[in-house]
This record gives sequence, C-alpha cells and structure tokens, in this order.
Amino acid sequence: MLKMTNVSKVYRTDTVETHALREFSLTVDEGEFVSVTGPSGSGKTTFLNIAGLLEDLTSGTYELDGRDVSKLDDTARSRVRNEKIGFIFQSFNLIPELNVFDNVDVPLRYRKFDAAERKRRIEKCVEMVGLGSRMRHLPAQLSGGQQQRVAIARALAGEPRFLLADEPTGNLDSHMADSVLDLLGEINDAGTTIIMVTHELALADRAKRNIFVRDGQVSDGSPDLHIANLAAG
Amino acid sequence: MEFGPIWRAMMRSKGGYLLIALQIAVTMAIMVNAIAIMQERSIKMSRPSGIDEPNTFGLVSVGFKPDMDTKSLIREDLDLIRNLPGVVNAIATNSYPLRQGGWSEGLHREPGVGKSVSSSAIYFTDEHGLETFALNLLEGANFTPEQVAWDSDSDDFWPSTVIVTEALAKDLFPDHEGSYIGKTFWFNDDNPTNIVGVVERLQAPWPTWTGVERSMLVPLIRESEFVRYVVRTEPGERDRMMAEVEELLSTSNTDRIIRGVRAMEDTRKLSYLGDSAMIKMLTFIVALLTAITGLGIVGLASFSVARRTRQIGIRRALGATKAAIVRYFMLENFLVSSVGIVAGSILAIGLNILMVQQFALTPLAWYVIPLAMMALWIVGQAAVVGPAKRAGNISPAIATRSG
Repeated sequence: MLKMTNVSKVYRTDTVETHALREFSLTVDEGEFVSVTGPSGSGKTTFLNIAGLLEDLTSGTYELDGRDVSKLDDTARSRVRNEKIGFIFQSFNLIPELNVFDNVDVPLRYRKFDAAERKRRIEKCVEMVGLGSRMRHLPAQLSGGQQQRVAIARALAGEPRFLLADEPTGNLDSHMADSVLDLLGEINDAGTTIIMVTHELALADRAKRNIFVRDGQVSDGSPDLHIANLAAG
Repeated sequence: MEFGPIWRAMMRSKGGYLLIALQIAVTMAIMVNAIAIMQERSIKMSRPSGIDEPNTFGLVSVGFKPDMDTKSLIREDLDLIRNLPGVVNAIATNSYPLRQGGWSEGLHREPGVGKSVSSSAIYFTDEHGLETFALNLLEGANFTPEQVAWDSDSDDFWPSTVIVTEALAKDLFPDHEGSYIGKTFWFNDDNPTNIVGVVERLQAPWPTWTGVERSMLVPLIRESEFVRYVVRTEPGERDRMMAEVEELLSTSNTDRIIRGVRAMEDTRKLSYLGDSAMIKMLTFIVALLTAITGLGIVGLASFSVARRTRQIGIRRALGATKAAIVRYFMLENFLVSSVGIVAGSILAIGLNILMVQQFALTPLAWYVIPLAMMALWIVGQAAVVGPAKRAGNISPAIATRSG
C-alpha cells in the first residue's frame, strides 16, 4: 500500500518559492492500477518523484508498504527504490552503451543477486516482453516500442511491489502505445500495483482508477468530470 | 563487481579512454626509466669514499717567495697542525677522494713497454696517511718513517713500497688467492714496487671514473711551494678546526697564502653536483608528468560525469547508492589505468633494454615496475575521487526530466 498524507513539496531559489505539492494526500491499495492526470505544471511529476523516492518531501508523511519512508537517508531510499519500486520513463532511459541484457541487469546488480539468479530473471523478463531474440542488441538497434519493452523488463526484473510509469507511451506511436499498455495491464493483472502519470486521456482511461491533480493537490470531483475538463483544456 | 558491463561500455566509446591509457603508458615508461637513472645516480652518490668524511677537511698552502725552504715549511706546518688539540692527524698530499683532480698511473704485472694491465690513482703521503684518511688496513703494515721519501720532482721517483686498495690488488692479480703482501708490480713500464699493505677502500679523486675504487698510497712528500694538506679532526671539531688551522698557517708563515679550506662534505657535494642536478631534474619531470596524467584523468572523469549526468540519474533511480556510483567511476578508472599501466610496463622494459644497450645504464631493479604500477594506480584513483563524488551527488530525479 502507498499512502501519502498532507505531503508538501516546495522548491526554493534565492528569489522564488514554488509549491509543487500542497497538502497532497493519496492512498493506493495493493494491486491497483491508478492513473494520475492533470494539466502541465499541476505537480504530477513531483508526485511521481516523491512516490518513487527520487526526491525528498518538504512536509507530511509517506508510507510505503506500511513503513514511513519520508525520513529515510539516501542509502536507505536507494535500497527501497531498488527493491520495491520499478520505473518506466517516457524517454525509456536505457543506457545507450549497454545491450538489452546489461540494461536489465543494472538494478539487479545493485540488488547484489548472484550471476545465475540475475541471468534467470533477465531472461524471464526479456522473454516476457517479447525480446528474447534481441538480448545482445544495443538500444540504438531497437525501435521505440522495443526500447520501452526493455525498460519494462528492467523495471520488472527486480519483482517490485510498485510500478511507477511516467508518460510510458509519450514517445510511441499509437500501435506501439497500445501494445505497451496491454503489457502494463497484464502486469497489473499479475498483481503488481501500477501508478501511471500521464496527460493522455486514452491512457488514463485504461487505468482502474484515475486521480486528477491540480495546483499540487488531488482535486475533488469525479474522475470523469476531470477527464472532461482536461479534454476541454 | 561490474567489470564486465563497465568494460563493454568503455569499448563502445573508447577514444578518450585510449588517449588516457596512452598517456599513462608513456608516463609509466618515462617514470620507470627516470627512477632507474635516479637510482643509479643515487647509489653512485652514496658510495663511501673510504675516508672519515664528516671530520675531514682539506686546504692548500701556496708560497710566493722565491727559493722557499718548502721541506722545512711542510714539516713545520704538519707539526703545528698535528699538535693542535682537536686534530687527529694531518698529511701533505697531492689529492684526496672526490676532489676531481689528481694523479693516475698505468700499472704492469711484468716490466716492459705496452704491458699495462691496470691503472690506479696515486696519493702521496707519509706514515700518517692511514690514520688521517681513517683507512681500514686489511693486511700488511703501515709505512715506516724511513720508507717515506721527499722529492721535489716526483716524476723521476718511483717508490719501492705501496699500500693499495683491495680493489686494485684484485684488479692487478685477478687469479691470485691469499695474501697480496709482497706482490710486485711495475710502474711506468719498468719501475718495480712491492705491496706492503692492503686497505679496504680508498676512492680515487674522480667519482665518474670506472676504476674509482682503484688507488694506492705512495710514501712520498713532494717538496713544492704548492702543498695540499688533509686534516682529520676529532668528531664535532671540524668546523672549529677549519678556522683555526687556516688562521694558524696564515700567521705562522706570511710568505704564502692559505686557500681552498673545504670540508669533505662540501667536496662531495661539488663532486656530485651534476648527478644531484640530474636527480632533481628527473624528479621534477616525473612529478610533472604524473601531475599532468593525474589532471588528464580528472579531466576525462569530469567530462565523463558531465556527459553521463542523465545516465547516472537513471542508475540512481534504479537503486544505485551514492557509493555505488563512486565505485563505478573508480572501477572504470582502474580499468583504464590498468590498460595504460600494463602497456607502460612493456614500454618501460623495452626502453630500459635500449638504454642499457646504448648508454650502459644499469638494468631495472625488479621492484621498480611494481612500485611505479602502484604509484600510478594510486594517482589514478586519487584523481578520480573528486569527479566520482560529484557523480554520486547527482539526483535520481534527473531520470524523470524530459530529455
């Protein structure tokens, strides 16, 4: 379970103070597929960063799997990210010098699995995303959809409890986007909790629950209304 | 360890890494051979001359009055000096070790023209020479006063007895076993002389001479207006006695001047000035090269961190701790350094073989290459610490920024 209570995030420079999240509260139960939508600058990415322990929160509490993770030190946060959270990014974020196998291997090495266990997990996940025959290909030798599938394999290899997806189809054509979303649906059906940040209505519609964020807060009202508002601009 | 992925990643953009590896290799080759040269010079400089250097000094008396009774003057001077409290002994001689000027002679095992088998430096002295130079007599005996001759033209005089260094005795009689006392050899084609004593060590005046360990004491005092004295003092008395002896001789006879009062320590410094300068210059070059290599590594690592900021953020997002990122860059540098160091070792050995053949340099000591390897690994790792720490501090949130 993911539970944020009154979370605030303030970015400060010498002259400007920006409140990216204000008293943000949200609970996501195990096994849910939640989309987070909202206009540009609403705080979606900040929410994702905090949910993924990529950034500190300024105030409030954040519990992950029943454990308060809001005050963990950097090393402990890295460990929680590595063990419990899988990330899927809009621009895939594969490491260009590493082939498919080595890319998927990256988080597993930080987990300190032995070589045989890493190999087993990598092959299983890469096969699952349909790229078993491209294990030794570099990212540049793959299509956008294939790269995102590699990123999904990398996110799943550590068998995380939560999958955080940031605009996962933003750089894909509609055909590839559909196949990635189908894959995410299958992953969710297998029990992994997915939180997907997106500004695309069609994507939000594929989730089982939609959260609308505006001005750094979860907005009241029905998701349908928010989606309609979003569509209206 | 991540050697495999790091190595494979490096192989996909190897330009910068190869340049740094090459720089490390060149530095290694130069460093190793510079150390070999410095080591050789340093060993040369630290060879003992055989005399009591800390307590010994030399000076020159130059008479300017015509028809001086030089024999009397030398006797008086030596009496005055030897009777000074604080003086152990003193002699009148033609030269002493490290002075870079003196006499040498070709030596024969049998009489006859063109049969020279060795050569030796020659020190004129009386029976006080052994004590003044503090020589270790291995066998035989000191000169007796009766054996000491006075001569105004020593070119025509060839002594019948000499005390030689062990190195000279071995060079003259390489196949001989047992005592050298009583062995005969010839000066200048046909002047025979007998060995009456063998001392452990007394270097020739020329430290660069290959036969520097070959010298002999000849029982002779030259009657001349130009006299070189060597004085040995009690420990700790040298500096005081230098001033006192200079003053004493200057006032005892005003028909001469006293000059060149110089402690053996200074003579040694002057003698090895070139070697000392060479060591300093090579040290500077090695330090400069190492610093340039270190800066090159810093530059490459900084560039690498700047170029891979996003990748580092991604790794952090995927669970890398700060320490893991630092370790990644340290390992990467270790691999680059290792390639350079291995190539540099081969280059260093090749260069050393060439220098041994061309310039008669001493072959590398076995431990120089391992030491240089360690030094360059340490320099490489130290150079990469700063950029690696900066990399470790990159925020994982960079992974979610568009780009």
